[in-house]
Amino acid sequence: MGEHLRISRRTVLKGLGTAIALPMLEAMAPVVSIAGQVRKAPPLRMAFIYIPNGIHMPTWTPGALGSKFVLPETLEPLKPVQDDLLVLSGLTLDKARAHGDGPGDHARAMTAFLTGRQPRKTHGADIRAGVSADQVAAEHVGKLTRFPSLELGCDRGLNSGNCDSGYSCAYSANISWRADSSPMAMEVNPRLVFERLFGNDHLGETNASRAKRDRYQLSVLDFVMEDALRLKTKLGTPDQRKLDEYLTGVRELEVRINRADAPAAKAPGTITRPPGMPADYREHVRLLCDLLVLAYQGDLTRVATFVFANDGSNRPYPFLGVPDGHHDLSHHRGMKDKQAKLQKINHFHISQLAYLLQKMQAIREAEGNLLGNSMVVYGSGISDGNAHNHDDLPILLAGGGRGKIKGGRHIRYPKETPLTNLYLGMLDRMGVPVKSFGDSTGRLESLS
Amino acid sequence: MGFLRGILMLTACALGWAIFRVPAPAEDAANSKTADRPVFSKQVGPLLAQYCVRCHGGTKPKAGLALDNYKDDAAALRAREVWERVGPLVRAHEMPPAKQPQPTQAETQLIIAWIDSVTSADTCIGQKDPGRVTLRRLNRAEYNNTVRDLVGVKFQPADDFPADDVGYGFDNIGDVLSLPPLLLEKYLAAAERIVTSALATPDLRTRIMICTPTLATKDECARKILEAFARRAYRRPPTSGEVDRLAKFVRLAESQGDSFDKGIELALEAILTSPNFLFLVERDPTPARAGGPPRISQHELATRLSYFLWSSMPDGELFQQAGKATLNKDGNLENQIRRMLNDPKSRALVDNFAGQWLQLRNLKSFTPDPKRFPSFDESLRAAMLQETEEFFASVIREDRSILDFLDADFTFVNERLAKHYGIPGIHGSRFQRVALTGDQRGGILSQASILAETSNPTRTSPVKRGKWVLENILGTPPPPPPPGAGALNESKASDPSASLRKLMEQHRANPDCASCHARMDPLGFGLENYDAIGAWRDREGGSPIDASGVLPGGQTFNGPRQLKAILMSKQGAFARCLAEKMLTYALGRGLEHYDRCAVDKICDQVARDHYKFSSLVVAIVQSDPFQMRRSKEGQ
Repeated sequence: MGEHLRISRRTVLKGLGTAIALPMLEAMAPVVSIAGQVRKAPPLRMAFIYIPNGIHMPTWTPGALGSKFVLPETLEPLKPVQDDLLVLSGLTLDKARAHGDGPGDHARAMTAFLTGRQPRKTHGADIRAGVSADQVAAEHVGKLTRFPSLELGCDRGLNSGNCDSGYSCAYSANISWRADSSPMAMEVNPRLVFERLFGNDHLGETNASRAKRDRYQLSVLDFVMEDALRLKTKLGTPDQRKLDEYLTGVRELEVRINRADAPAAKAPGTITRPPGMPADYREHVRLLCDLLVLAYQGDLTRVATFVFANDGSNRPYPFLGVPDGHHDLSHHRGMKDKQAKLQKINHFHISQLAYLLQKMQAIREAEGNLLGNSMVVYGSGISDGNAHNHDDLPILLAGGGRGKIKGGRHIRYPKETPLTNLYLGMLDRMGVPVKSFGDSTGRLESLS
Repeated sequence: MGFLRGILMLTACALGWAIFRVPAPAEDAANSKTADRPVFSKQVGPLLAQYCVRCHGGTKPKAGLALDNYKDDAAALRAREVWERVGPLVRAHEMPPAKQPQPTQAETQLIIAWIDSVTSADTCIGQKDPGRVTLRRLNRAEYNNTVRDLVGVKFQPADDFPADDVGYGFDNIGDVLSLPPLLLEKYLAAAERIVTSALATPDLRTRIMICTPTLATKDECARKILEAFARRAYRRPPTSGEVDRLAKFVRLAESQGDSFDKGIELALEAILTSPNFLFLVERDPTPARAGGPPRISQHELATRLSYFLWSSMPDGELFQQAGKATLNKDGNLENQIRRMLNDPKSRALVDNFAGQWLQLRNLKSFTPDPKRFPSFDESLRAAMLQETEEFFASVIREDRSILDFLDADFTFVNERLAKHYGIPGIHGSRFQRVALTGDQRGGILSQASILAETSNPTRTSPVKRGKWVLENILGTPPPPPPPGAGALNESKASDPSASLRKLMEQHRANPDCASCHARMDPLGFGLENYDAIGAWRDREGGSPIDASGVLPGGQTFNGPRQLKAILMSKQGAFARCLAEKMLTYALGRGLEHYDRCAVDKICDQVARDHYKFSSLVVAIVQSDPFQMRRSKEGQ
């Protein structure tokens, strides 16, 4: 039986009564009695939230260090969760720097953000990015949940043209990489996220017919696996790599179907199926936040990435009184009016983060609340969008890490401390045995 | 080739010193390069000695690669294979290894420029490397179209698939199309949905169930049904072993107490989830005789053709021709191409090729400031897009000259767009062809779609427009800005109210920016009579529009009409640019140095044929990279 089955019924009941009820795992009821003696600490979750084009740093970085800091203007919406929040200053994403590869800071920043490795500069042939921190975690804890990881985003990615100075669009449309050349595509449509999490095509079917359907699906997967293996022997090496991606996908599906103890969760009654792509960006972000919380709540996944907007995004924010494109503004050239608009965009994104974190905080779990049992990184791979610098990045870490992180502080690290040191620290807490990661030089200190 | 020129530009522009003359677009790149090639013994050799020879030299050179035994330029030039190996590694900064001392950017560019001049400066005689397309999966458009033609369902399952990543400007590039687990999940779900829906729809069902089983003929009948379906789905005849394995699904279903139908349903799902369906599989050819041309198979050729022109599977006729191996028989290929271009399915070229070449897909996310552009709304956005689509479609349909893209005396408008353009007398939402007079409109550069997608939300961007023209019309993309370029200039406190032109002149005062902006900006200025949503304007903010410009070669112009005349005089460069883009799209891979001869040949053929659209398509289909694939021996 999977670990998640040891979530007690009491845990579930505690979750009820909050704004959104916990999705019921069908398998939970028969196995664990209502008296639920089996008590297991709720799982630790991690999320990485990405924002593009850097930040207007003067209104981001708190003046004071330690626990006595006042939230600056941009971070002000996070006041309700300040005790669960670490502002981490001084971290660097060295692999987003050119190192002889010339321009392309946006593509590099987004790709390197979670990999800590320099993406190979190419329009397409031989893409290489490295494995991202979320996928390292998913590789380890992913088998415990229905979805090893969840990739969410608001932008579909550019459909044509050059994305950034000689970098394939694969780099600026993905943040999560399962293998060197295998990006994990983001799901951008809230309806499809919902259907994936709570797919209800076969609601009401009996156990027997469900079992038969699983058997059939497995036999189809067996068949196509054999096709792929046969084909592989006939093709050259680059083609074989493509088939390996295919085979990984097949195996992952097989595992999921084979896990008879992880049936589709029922969508909670209080959330209805979202209609599709919301026209309003604010609604879009919030719906995806809601779905992420639901996925965590139901232990459908423990690892997620969420890209508020792809790096280089030129999205205007007319509802904030900012009709200009975000990327255009980020090259503010020191002009005050542009910086003020940038700050508005930064503030808006932080408000969305605050919405997510407060929602997590409101969900009670056995040992506190969902936020206390999570680690949420929020940040950008660029510091000042005008200078395109990749040091002193805007990075937040929210959540209690199941007691292993002590929030409510502003910490400044020595210059050039790799951002990947933070990920190492998080992977440790997640129980993922990794010695080093990307360009890490050690574990980030003082998180606990 | 565009990419070669790009490298030369980088050297010349970004570093501010011109070791190479930048070849004019229409020139033969190879000739000019030979003349301007750096001297190996004086310039390149010393760099190799400094950075490479410590490992790649002496008695035991690493990787068997010795770079220290070229006594003179002639000796170095003869070692072409060596440089073909070294070039990509230096270019990708893989060599020297990161822990070793690194050449400066200027030094790297010098080495690469020299290597490029050696590896591509050869005559176009003899069999060239036709390249190799990495196994590519169907993208979303291809999946939808293929399922439409294969099964006939009315819905578009791939609309729910994640976006396809783009490389070399297109979303059908084998190297870039990855297959994350999420997508496989969607494939399986889509297969189930497609098959269930097809078998439940009487007329679609009869197309699949071409045999009614009796107790005695059940197995034979299943094989017949599955053989026919797999043949079309795999775009080649299935092997009998494959049909055997498919037929097992019928037995599986029956062993579970289910019907014959259920078994077929499962087998069809398996076909639609199989890599043989989802990928355009090509085998590395084994030429009949050593050194013979490594041609792809007839079924592979039919598949390349149909995905190029229709973004979909081959139809009955193509299958038949491939089966009889007659596709390449005298004149037949041309007939097939014309037949295919006349088929409504060639609309896919508009949606997928033109949509990406002209970057029309980016129009969808263009959000002009409603305060400055109150007349912009969704119906105008849709009309802008449709104009360019109709225009491109008419070039295909009427087999017009591709030079019509640069300038034409007609376009397509509806009432909404006509109003936007100030063309009187057009009523209704239907698009109609109109003859154009005057200086304001004609050709894609005066179409609102292009003008809007290259603008900022609040104003026009001459830089973006100029860059667009260099990239998509002239095929000479500017190199990306040097690091920190955006942050440089205006910290010197420029007047924020200064005109755009003035700001950009200040920007160009910086020598790092000057040489490239001197190429981009004037092209954009020539289009300043069109505002950010493509409406004509004579004045802005009270001042008259200055649409004059000076090109780097000293050519001057004033206004879009004169700018277009200059572009028309560069028709060879335009044809080459379009040929490179279309060949990339047709192959599903980026172009490499060994494709130069093929592109040369295509361009010659198109010019001979008065730039007719169909002649471009025919020349591409007849080219070696399209007809062939690097053989096993060639790898």
